Amino acid sequence: MVSLEVDLAAALRACAANESVLDFEAWAVRIFRHQFDRNLPYRAYCERRGVTPATVGAWTDVPAVPARAFRSADLACGPAEIVFRTSGTTGGPEMRGRHSIPHLDLYRASALPAFERFVLPDGARLPCLFLLPPPSVRPDSSLVHMCAWVAEAFGAGVEWFAGAAGLDVERLVERLATLERTGAAVLLAGPTAGFVRLFDAGRAIRLGPGSRLVDTGGQKGLTRPVSRAGFLRACWTHLGIPTYYCVNEYGMTELCSQRYDSVLRDRFDGRSLDPRRLVAPPWLRTRVLDPDTLATVPEGATGLLCHHDLANAGSVSVVLTEDLGRAVGGDGIEIVGRVPGAVPRGCGLLLADLVPS
Amino acid sequence: MIGGLQREIDAALAARARLCGRSVRETAAALAAAGARWRSDPALSSKLPEAAHLGAGMVRAVLPIVASQLDAALLCEVHAREASGTPPALVAHVLASNVPGLAVPAIALSCLAGAATVVKSGRADRLSAPAFHRALAAVDPDLAATVVTAYWPGGATDVEDAILGRADLVVASGADASVGTLARRLGTRVVAQGGRTSVAVALGDVDDAVVAGLATDVALYEQRGCLSPHRVFVVGDAAGLAERLRAALDDVARSLPRPPATTAERAAHRLAVEEARFGGATVLESTGGTVIVGGTATEVGRRTVFVHALETAGEVGTRIAPATVECVGVAGVVLDADMLRRRGVARLCPIGAMQRPRIDWPRGQRPALGSLFRLPSEPRIQVEA
Repeated sequence: MVSLEVDLAAALRACAANESVLDFEAWAVRIFRHQFDRNLPYRAYCERRGVTPATVGAWTDVPAVPARAFRSADLACGPAEIVFRTSGTTGGPEMRGRHSIPHLDLYRASALPAFERFVLPDGARLPCLFLLPPPSVRPDSSLVHMCAWVAEAFGAGVEWFAGAAGLDVERLVERLATLERTGAAVLLAGPTAGFVRLFDAGRAIRLGPGSRLVDTGGQKGLTRPVSRAGFLRACWTHLGIPTYYCVNEYGMTELCSQRYDSVLRDRFDGRSLDPRRLVAPPWLRTRVLDPDTLATVPEGATGLLCHHDLANAGSVSVVLTEDLGRAVGGDGIEIVGRVPGAVPRGCGLLLADLVPS
Repeated sequence: MIGGLQREIDAALAARARLCGRSVRETAAALAAAGARWRSDPALSSKLPEAAHLGAGMVRAVLPIVASQLDAALLCEVHAREASGTPPALVAHVLASNVPGLAVPAIALSCLAGAATVVKSGRADRLSAPAFHRALAAVDPDLAATVVTAYWPGGATDVEDAILGRADLVVASGADASVGTLARRLGTRVVAQGGRTSVAVALGDVDDAVVAGLATDVALYEQRGCLSPHRVFVVGDAAGLAERLRAALDDVARSLPRPPATTAERAAHRLAVEEARFGGATVLESTGGTVIVGGTATEVGRRTVFVHALETAGEVGTRIAPATVECVGVAGVVLDADMLRRRGVARLCPIGAMQRPRIDWPRGQRPALGSLFRLPSEPRIQVEA
């Protein structure tokens, strides 16, 4: 492994363990040099824009690539250990982004501590029930990979409730009913659309105290529109999980780090009155940009989300997304919507991929 | 609402019966006079900019263009050429919302065909149809009585089934998805006019007046219409023409400033620009618009044009996907009209005239008036000198 990735993975783990402070700026500049040297499509793009390591003095100087670039170019700094692909059914295979990961351990070093920090701040070790296919069915899904790691690192067992034929709602309901009788707490995770299908089954189950739910994908893949408030209400009425144990995850195939709903972490930090927002580990920063100037907009204003993910050291760290959002609460963001015309993609469509309509 | 509309349609059909035997010349003259009144309607020009999300200057520029289609002599000529057989009793028009004024030629063609008309306006222009109806009533109340204007939200299936279900013919324009949904429900009565776009083909060293005309073609209607060019194919100096076009767009913007865009519209534009830039395209951005040399063309509006170099003008046939391009504007080169017709192009005209179609422009390659008579027809192209 190239030393930068080894060093960075160690730095992320040390930061997550509160053993050291991560110098984001220094890492951003160092990683840009690394990517400029090894990632030829990215280097060509930077040179066309007149940007070289000599001109980058701050993390905000590093050029962003549009997320769509992951569809057309192989943006990797070396041979891929694994290639993750975005989900989505409408655009066809050529419209799917792919993220080549040269060093999977760096991804793991980012994903696991963040999940633990925002979903398991109490150190709970729970049985994992995933509304997802197992890695053997979707080896190219970053979400599936991450969930497998979560179960391995923090879980007390794992069960997958989607297969080649899609989500097995009946089996899931039966399993939840069994768990209800034991009173055991569980960790449920999967696409928002999968949970809505579970709710539509109509059963009302009271899962054990401390049970929690992680959903991702938002409105994508939903068969009917569901507001966030409506979703959280359904989590309570159908599963008995209170809203503060319902954590929304925001991730992209093109990023190795994720943002999470602040609600559970805030509760454990005594900040329950703070607004819900999507917060990130220290190695992921997000700027909200004016679409015309690409300058950062004032907090609260809506703009294009641009993520700077140090854990993306093996590809491109700065990604201009097709998501609109705004900064909230000093350390978080809120997703406002998606740019019109953007191709539907993402984890929300993972189940739709399994059952083509 | 449905009951009221049904009664209005009954009255329009009765008015149509009373007009039996009226001369085409009289109808054409009334339509032309109504067009002239419509373009000067102060209520329309004051309210349309906000409703249609267009600048006041843009509305002032496009209303005369729309009205100019109602030329009495041309209307008579079109009738003589295309009207044949039994006219439909009732034609329904479901109008798109992308550009204003679509109601004017729609109503005019139905009146010319001798049909009663019900016009369902698009969401962003609920003003043009009633305004034209008022203008027609002022010059020819009997003819105006054959017209019903209405608005209901798209997808209101109860209204659509009740009202459109009565029509002998439904002409529906708009996004492919919504037009397709209507066609599936109402069957072969629907003449579907889905989304299309336009391109220009020019020599690199065309004179400045042509470049100015191209910039105007780009700017008019803010690239929302099917006649708006989004791509320019250049034989010769593509980079030079791109730079001149950027400057010409700035000139146009002085008289026709771009309207404010939403954050989402600006974001869509930015992503397209950055994607093109990543792909190696040269991006020329300025206040008047954006010219992108190379890149994969997308329709992002905001006066954005993709410029592509061609070795020969004939190559354009291989560069446009079948049945996607409505109009080709041309300057300095000769194109094979029949080749373009086979690619699905409906109109070939000089650059600078792309947004000024005649009323008999065979939209979607169908005869403008003849399609109301459901006459079988080969796909057409209109070639304008």
